[in-house]
Amino acid sequence: MTVELLHPRTRTDVEQTLRAASEAGTRVSIVGGRRHLDKGNPAEVDAELWTTQLDRVIAYEPAEMLVVVQSGMRCGTLAELLAEHGQEWPADAPLDATVGGVIASASSSSRRLTVGPLRDTVVEMELVTGDGRPVTSGARTVKNVTGYDVHRLMTGSLGTLGVITQVALKVRPLPERAVSVVAQGGLEVAAAIAAGVPRTAGVVATPGEVEVRVEGWAGEVDPIVASIGDLAGSVTILDGVPFPRAPWWTWPDPGTIVEAAVAPSRLARVLDGAIRYAALAGVGLAWIGVSSSDDLASTRARVAAAGGIAPAVRGPGGLGETSLAAPDVHRRLRSSFDPAGILAPGRAWGSDATAR
Amino acid sequence: MADVVAARRELEAALGPDAVLADPLALRLYARDASMVEGGCALVALPTTTEQVQSCVRVAAAHGLPVVPRGSGTGLAGAATPIGDSLVVALARMTRIVEVRPEDRLAWVEPGVPNLDLANHLRPMGWTFAPDPSSQQTSSIGGNVNTNAGGPHCLAYGVTSAHVLALDVVMADGSLERVGAEGPEAAGYDLRGVVVGSEGTLGIVTRACVRIVALPPAVRTMLFGFEAVEECAATVSAIIARGVVPAAAEMMDQGIVRAVETFAHAGYPVEAAAVLLVEVDGTEAGVAAQTREVEAAAAEHRASSSRVAADDAERGLLWKGRKSAFGAIAQIAPHYHLHDCVVPRTKLVEVMAGIYAIAERHRLVVTNVFHAGDGNLHPLFSFDRSVPGTLERVLRASDEVVRLCVDVGGALSGEHGIGLEKRDFMPLVFSARDLAAQACVRAAFDPENRMNPRKVLPDGARCGEFALAASGSGDAAADAAGLPEGSWV
Repeated sequence: MTVELLHPRTRTDVEQTLRAASEAGTRVSIVGGRRHLDKGNPAEVDAELWTTQLDRVIAYEPAEMLVVVQSGMRCGTLAELLAEHGQEWPADAPLDATVGGVIASASSSSRRLTVGPLRDTVVEMELVTGDGRPVTSGARTVKNVTGYDVHRLMTGSLGTLGVITQVALKVRPLPERAVSVVAQGGLEVAAAIAAGVPRTAGVVATPGEVEVRVEGWAGEVDPIVASIGDLAGSVTILDGVPFPRAPWWTWPDPGTIVEAAVAPSRLARVLDGAIRYAALAGVGLAWIGVSSSDDLASTRARVAAAGGIAPAVRGPGGLGETSLAAPDVHRRLRSSFDPAGILAPGRAWGSDATAR
Repeated sequence: MADVVAARRELEAALGPDAVLADPLALRLYARDASMVEGGCALVALPTTTEQVQSCVRVAAAHGLPVVPRGSGTGLAGAATPIGDSLVVALARMTRIVEVRPEDRLAWVEPGVPNLDLANHLRPMGWTFAPDPSSQQTSSIGGNVNTNAGGPHCLAYGVTSAHVLALDVVMADGSLERVGAEGPEAAGYDLRGVVVGSEGTLGIVTRACVRIVALPPAVRTMLFGFEAVEECAATVSAIIARGVVPAAAEMMDQGIVRAVETFAHAGYPVEAAAVLLVEVDGTEAGVAAQTREVEAAAAEHRASSSRVAADDAERGLLWKGRKSAFGAIAQIAPHYHLHDCVVPRTKLVEVMAGIYAIAERHRLVVTNVFHAGDGNLHPLFSFDRSVPGTLERVLRASDEVVRLCVDVGGALSGEHGIGLEKRDFMPLVFSARDLAAQACVRAAFDPENRMNPRKVLPDGARCGEFALAASGSGDAAADAAGLPEGSWV
């Protein structure tokens, strides 16, 4: 079956395209850099709407610590622009991922311990609903309690409520100095560092090794590194490396990778028996490689017992069975924002068959 | 029509007679919050458990009473002001801190817990709850969640939304749902994200799982005086340009400083046109580096005085000045009207000049004390409402302040919310379509419009208007006309 490719260049193009698709019943998948498309249940579609032509910078005022960009901008391009002014948007996503894809998939930074969830950086959004209506939510201010935050619903909605066309993002100053510190040990060591060493930017536990990011003012990095050494014994200090050195999307022959999310102290239970993983201590997020459908099922069972979720972010596996809060609210949101049910039907959490 | 008698009987059976108020004095007390708008209600319920809250919602639905959730009633926008034959569900008796789990960096609390009680409970364990609105001695966690409250420290730590992991919510049909999760991500759309800041219109929060943060190893608080308001505001941008995101950056103009000084004796420079209170935190070395940058930025902008708190006592004193501002202004006049709007940080100077001009034009006293770091202004008009015509002048001036902030790209509210007071300003910042989309969010939670009706959105905004608005033919907000019947200023 051939899939039609749609390349809107403006928000108006997106409106017209979706209005026509809704009228014709054409099922559409929204595509950015194709880095986060595996997250979500399989959805059969007739067309792909590529956001990659929507790649302009709309406004950037470094003193406001806000940048406004179209959603198809690549994360790498945005990072270069911000770095010229000593700032960053801490997505820590693949450079060719799009800003919109990162937001729609609620992707997490490995430095989430300090930078928080990316959804908190989205302060304003322009979107187009499934039937082609343009909507703006939020404002270009760092603080705002004005009505309902529609942009919060769009974040992590996996492209099932509308097309994100533009966002205003909170950015932060780049640290004066950043190093990675590698220690031997497992999750216990990682948890001890996250709990005992103030102001680490991120602590990633992989089998047998702990990788810690230390960022800050030039004078404060060395004392923090020293206190990591006090806790973890001998450490290796690496300057000028990305963090982490091997993010999950670079793992060779990964099969399926799930992104488990549990309360931080329950990570150990979830990782029990896992061969390949990268776990964020103090955060409760872990990317776990699974080798078979049995492995996937048992990993998900452990996560569920710990009260969490484990959607696949790479390879087959979908979102997994999970109970959904307020399914009626989900159903009504879906039918309000995508009345014809054309946006990647079936991809989102819970069954949205009712919307069709 | 609402059957108040039957509702009262059933509520008394479910909650006990002492948990249901219906006498005229009580109804009058619960007829308003800390805003200028007064309404009225039919009944007040004081539940102590989630199950009792569910009973309240079900009984109200069965007998046609709208439900108005209420925390401590410190809200400034009228979100907790009831209208018509409502049932006020006051959560002030649900005050348990259920559990604190430092290993998971979270705490479960009931909605009636005062903000400062939670912070005080956590401090000996080395933790805190970061949002610290000025009302924190009184305002409740439930209220903070529902207004997405801010406070001085949200500049570096983020607003309440960044500190709420999960919420137990009694929905409009009386069912109980948990939105969000103890872990970092939850299944489904981010319902938690829209319930936070929804001003009691999407459901009643009966338990909140909040994020707790470790107390910083080092803190430094500084106070700078300036001979020009412009230089004070420009210092804030200069600090950020130097790569410092202070824990707090609070600005006060001369009017406020003088009122505060006679009240708090904090040693503020009363000759300065404006003062800037800056706090930085982090590791010892990090704090030292940030302090250097902040002092350099202030010097660059010709600060006329500079003071760094030497110890916790002095730090407390400097903060006492800031936090007592709203008490201190009672010396100026018996009443005040406090605004809350956010503008881009780089527009602060322009907007402050505009606010002084508006006050002069309407012959009003205005003072400013606000969160300069995030562009969140709090112009405050002091007046005596017993003087004929004064209130009208205040309202006209307020209207102009809102429009001024919107004109420079600001938002209607930074941390107080929309409630009743600002709902008819919503069409200034949102199109009819945007408002219809918001109405759809509300309708998804509460299709029968039982929860805190007529708040936040102007009367004309309806989800059903969404399709109409798309064709450009429907102006959903056009029929919004002033405050609802049954309420008055």
